[in-house]
Amino acid sequence: MISANAALPGFYDHGEVARSVLIAIAASYAALDLTGRVTAARGRVRLAWLSGGAIAMGIGIWAMHFNGMLAFHLPVSVEYDWLTVLASLLVAIFASSVALYVSSRREMGLVEALAGSVIMGAAIAGMHYIDMAAMRLPAVTRYSPLLVACSILLAILFSLSALLMAFDLREETRWSVPRRLGSATVMGVAVSAMHYTGMAAASFIPASPPDLSYAVNISSLANNGISIVTLIVIVAAITTSSVDRRASTEVERRADEALREAQAKLARVTRVHAMGELAAAIAHEVNQPLTAIVTNGNFCLRELAGGGRNLEELREAIAEIVNDGTRASTVISRIRTLLAKGAPERAELDINEVIQEVTGLIRSELARNRISLLTDLTAGLRVRGDGVQLQQVLINLIMNSIDAMRTVTDRPRELLIKSAKHSDEVLVQVQDSGPGIDPGQVDRIFEPFSTTKAGGIGMGLSISRSIVESHGGRLWAVAEPNGALFEFTVPTQD
Amino acid sequence: MAEAEPIVFVIDDDPSVRRAIRRLIGSVGLQVELFGSAKEFLHSRRPDAPSCLVLDIRLPGISGLDFQRELAVANVHIPIIFITAHGDIPMTVRAMKAGAVEFLTKPFHDQDLLDAINVALERDHAKRKQEAEIAILRQRWESLTPREREVLPLVVSGLLNKQIAGEIGTSETTVKVHRGQLMRKMGADSLAELVRLAERIGIPNTKP
Repeated sequence: MISANAALPGFYDHGEVARSVLIAIAASYAALDLTGRVTAARGRVRLAWLSGGAIAMGIGIWAMHFNGMLAFHLPVSVEYDWLTVLASLLVAIFASSVALYVSSRREMGLVEALAGSVIMGAAIAGMHYIDMAAMRLPAVTRYSPLLVACSILLAILFSLSALLMAFDLREETRWSVPRRLGSATVMGVAVSAMHYTGMAAASFIPASPPDLSYAVNISSLANNGISIVTLIVIVAAITTSSVDRRASTEVERRADEALREAQAKLARVTRVHAMGELAAAIAHEVNQPLTAIVTNGNFCLRELAGGGRNLEELREAIAEIVNDGTRASTVISRIRTLLAKGAPERAELDINEVIQEVTGLIRSELARNRISLLTDLTAGLRVRGDGVQLQQVLINLIMNSIDAMRTVTDRPRELLIKSAKHSDEVLVQVQDSGPGIDPGQVDRIFEPFSTTKAGGIGMGLSISRSIVESHGGRLWAVAEPNGALFEFTVPTQD
Repeated sequence: MAEAEPIVFVIDDDPSVRRAIRRLIGSVGLQVELFGSAKEFLHSRRPDAPSCLVLDIRLPGISGLDFQRELAVANVHIPIIFITAHGDIPMTVRAMKAGAVEFLTKPFHDQDLLDAINVALERDHAKRKQEAEIAILRQRWESLTPREREVLPLVVSGLLNKQIAGEIGTSETTVKVHRGQLMRKMGADSLAELVRLAERIGIPNTKP
């Protein structure tokens, strides 16, 4: 260190400097790690994490500084005023709590980040110069204004980058630990740079011996003690935080699993529910041909019992029996496809066939509600997916449209189903002429248990969306002026 | 009076069910007319003959049950046989309470439908006969003079000629003449029969 003419020559113990940098890095890592815990916690737990974290971090920052000061050796005996040192420790804890508070908030805007870093930086710089003021030695401390300003600026810049890094790293990801380590190193080096700039700002001019009341001499043993205690505190903080994180990850994982299980069950329930709604329509669909068959059959028996002279009539009746039998079996095979249970299949499908299967099933439901069906299908749209699940999505959207159009009396009730190619996806649109969706509700309707229907359980759209997403597609709604428009995409086969 | 040929109307939205029902009913020699919707039926000209309606509950536009009520409001009293793919108990109760003849679940037994049709036609026939008789009685009542219409309720209340004369302020002989006239005009041979006829067209006893 180059000092003014008469300044005392001093030198750094490189080992101790290295130790102070290490403490800075450890404290930085603890800070980044704790931010995540403070963010994840709520209420009193959050307060506990915030204050505990601030204490551990504050001790770390302070110890780094104090160590850095002790690493500087002067040819005279240096003692420290312990009350002032204690004050500097409290300032360090305050700076840490500001850092943790700002970086753990839900959102951090530019104003918060700047204000936080100015407070934090000023507090750290304050801590540094309070510590310097705690020095009791037979010399007068002189400061270079430029370097002091530099150190304060560095403190603020370091604080800003620390806040941004902490905010960015608080979410748990796979790369959290290595990224935190890297950031902690950068931060630790920055803290040290700030510190040694501050140190460089001071020069010591020999003077009369100082007032040594409240002053203590820090032996190298005490110096080691401070470092060790600090590291223990930091390690304890990091360990606690990692145990807590692991526990909460485990809780989250279980909750996730339970949620998935519940969703799978609900998907089944909703399918059954949708089947219930459809059952009446399908029963009708099968029963009509059966009624015609039985009645025609009885007619034939009567004719034959009476001699069976009217062969033309008999032939007609039997031809109708055959037709109606075929009709009934078509319906039944459709139901069988629809009911097919088991793991989702991934097969090559023509999306138009899926659409036609569904429209075949709901034809009578549409007729009963006086809804005209318009289709605009682009040929040759092949997708990879589970036909039954995609049918379920379509049935859900169409049943919603039917329900929505029940109240429409002043305009035609129309259901338009479109399929089209959309870059490398297939786009399916289901549009009705019902009252439409409230633009404010467009996204809410996909949330579980949100329903606008009196008897609905509000799972249909939520499940439909997860089905479409499991196919690698998207499902969304558009608030149109006349009626609702639902669109979903499924990736094309190739 | 001569009765027109009975006729069965069938409303079902499924053409193949309609045709099958026509064959079955036609095979027992009854006339059948088919309709695809309630509206078509309402807009048709129906012959003045004993008739009944075979009605599907599930119709496009209006449910069979609502249509039953609509017919009652429009004063069309035709016996109805419901046929449905899925009849539940409340539905059945509602239909029967509103006067349905039978409630059959599709696919129905052919004999059940034919029996129900017979009952319905019989019921309509009886009702029409009764209505015709009442119409005749009403005509006879219309043919009475105002004085005779005044006397008749007193006669059927069991008053003696003398009492009636006192009641309406005339002589016993005059009452006797009115009485003879109204008995003849109403086609009643005895006081007992007159009482019965008066009851049928709703002429109350004025004196208990």
